[in-house]
Amino acid sequence: METIIDCRGLTCPQPVILTKNALNDQDKVTVIVDNDPAMQNVRRLATKMGCQLQMEKKEDGTYHIRISRSAAAGKSAETAPAAADAPLIIAVSSDRMGRGSDELGDVLIRSYIHTILELDPLPDTMIFYNTGVKLAVRDSAVLDDLKELEAAGVSIIVCGTCLNYFGLTDSIAAGVVSNMYEIASTMASAGRLVTP
Amino acid sequence: MTASPEFQVIIFKSVHHALRAEKILKEIGIPHKLIPVPRHISSDCGVCLRFPAGEREHVEQALAGKFDIDEIRPLENQG
Repeated sequence: METIIDCRGLTCPQPVILTKNALNDQDKVTVIVDNDPAMQNVRRLATKMGCQLQMEKKEDGTYHIRISRSAAAGKSAETAPAAADAPLIIAVSSDRMGRGSDELGDVLIRSYIHTILELDPLPDTMIFYNTGVKLAVRDSAVLDDLKELEAAGVSIIVCGTCLNYFGLTDSIAAGVVSNMYEIASTMASAGRLVTP
Repeated sequence: MTASPEFQVIIFKSVHHALRAEKILKEIGIPHKLIPVPRHISSDCGVCLRFPAGEREHVEQALAGKFDIDEIRPLENQG
């Protein structure tokens, strides 16, 4: 039998938690979400748990994610994640790298973000908060790099509170706006958390 | 993947020169990007300015005599 979990109107981490709970006693689950971060996080969870998934984007903008767990993909993936699968998260807390000289810090962070494109494997997620959000808005010197990272599958989440604080909410140009729930749960799920 | 044959880079002796040169390119509207010096090129400074190869003449005119430029060279694809 197939269970349908309707997560419309819910933001992360709720869809992930509901999906995970459902997969604990169901083999086939269809999750309906209505926002990109939720879709990406549910997809990532399913992949991490070794499930098959099919996704369909509906005309109303919702995603229907059909997840089926094969017998082989037991709960072991959840309880004992392989080190290689543990997500690499990069938390960018400032639009400068290091302390001392702001001018130098600006050079370094631009260099750093550009260089991430050469990492193998790429990070799973990059989180931008505090002045770090200034890197993800229009006219940022690293916008092209962030867009390239996104295109390569890196999930970029940007702190909404921070954008609001700096009056930059309308200027976001890369990644998706998110909240502290997702930031905290993403950080907590990290295999490695890197802060430049 | 990010390196591309249609770009060239300016290698400087110091970060300060790279920053001042960046300011000049910005003022006169030559597209450019400050990037780390590619691994296969050695430099003390560590950052260089990348620009579209077609702009080389403009870049040379704009920066001529003002900076300690190590060299201007194509940004080759590396394996």
